[in-house]
Amino acid sequence: MSHVDDGTLHAYLDGELTPAEAQAVEAHLAQCPDCRGRLEEERALIARAGELLALATPPDRALPPFRSGDVRPPRRLWWQVRLPVAWAATVLLALGIGTYLGSRSAASWQRVVTDQAGPVPAADSVAPVRSRAFVQRAVKRAPPVSLAEFSLDSARALLGREPVVLPGAPIRALRRAHLPGYAAAVVIEQQLDSGTVVQLVEGRRAEMRMDAVVAERVAAPSAAAERTRAPQAAAQAPAPIRPVRLVDQLEVTISGPLPLDSLTQLLRRVAPLKAQSVTGP
Amino acid sequence: MSQDLAEVYRTTYRALVRFLYRKVWDAARAEDLAQEAFARAVVHKPDNARGWLFIVAANMARDDARRAARERRHLTLLKAEPQTSESGADDALHVESERTHVRAALEQLSPRDREVLLLWDAGISYEEIAAQTGLARGAVGTTLARARRRLVEAYQAGQRGEHVARG
Repeated sequence: MSHVDDGTLHAYLDGELTPAEAQAVEAHLAQCPDCRGRLEEERALIARAGELLALATPPDRALPPFRSGDVRPPRRLWWQVRLPVAWAATVLLALGIGTYLGSRSAASWQRVVTDQAGPVPAADSVAPVRSRAFVQRAVKRAPPVSLAEFSLDSARALLGREPVVLPGAPIRALRRAHLPGYAAAVVIEQQLDSGTVVQLVEGRRAEMRMDAVVAERVAAPSAAAERTRAPQAAAQAPAPIRPVRLVDQLEVTISGPLPLDSLTQLLRRVAPLKAQSVTGP
Repeated sequence: MSQDLAEVYRTTYRALVRFLYRKVWDAARAEDLAQEAFARAVVHKPDNARGWLFIVAANMARDDARRAARERRHLTLLKAEPQTSESGADDALHVESERTHVRAALEQLSPRDREVLLLWDAGISYEEIAAQTGLARGAVGTTLARARRRLVEAYQAGQRGEHVARG
């Protein structure tokens, strides 16, 4: 394999390569000191760019409640009319023509519609084809894109060290996360038992000034939005305080449907993945 | 607002404000535009709300910049040059000055490089960035590598320039 280009190195460090691609990169890195050196340079570059961007951040405020009163219906141009409206208009038009044509025989609405369905091809053959195409398009667009799922290897590359996990608990999901103040962060979901999943968020801090960090943490819980969501949410502690631990220079927080002291105890058990054997999802 | 959109609001609002701020450079304006984008999402109910929000936000920021440029054509756009020579100890001013430097560095990137960098920093995946910018997915890493390098270089050049100017 020829040397790994910069774009691929960045994609690798960003956790955006497929597992197969990441393996190919790692195989090359294992036998190419030049590319290993470049990998570290690019890792530093990514961290530095992230720090600079973090400087260009607006003062962080608590999440404001959604101002639904501001909603103004947008102007909609004639070709942007919603599909149901367009269909309704088409049906009305067809009925109108039908009524006009059928008026000589005093037919019922039912009659008009069935009469028109036969001889006029538009209603019968064109419509199903179009709606099928529409459904196919809708299905194609359907998968909601959230934070990119990626592999443990990518997490390792992103964090620059072994991810920290709860020993023995199967990993259900692994995502890259963007957190203000962190140069790199991942979210690891682990299954404790059939009904309990805890979430570990771990990351390396970007080098930031202390007051900025404090401000982020104050604003982070977004209690206002949380409270409006459900009565149960309001019944819980209004500002979720998450235990934080520093493991191998990674800041690790834990959250899950458990009391705070249980979460704190769980957090005490987390350790770098290295020697552990963990079953994948 | 639907449950889904409420969740998107909770998880995406700040990233959207940050994204907008780096385009309009006015925190209050960025928040207004973000709120407006969510208000439109309530009406449109897009399938992929997160991606949709960033497209709408980018368009709104562009329109906003055009209008701002029209309104103050006679003013210098970048008037907030560093004013820290006397008050280096003042933290607020120091932060402001660094922000100005990063802004100047960002504005030296090509529009596409800048867009890709800001989208990535807002938590958008390569795949979505490719969909939004029209880049091939394989080109996103290369673009990001270049954008990051230029950002750091431009920032360092700005710092050096200032040191030279200060003598």
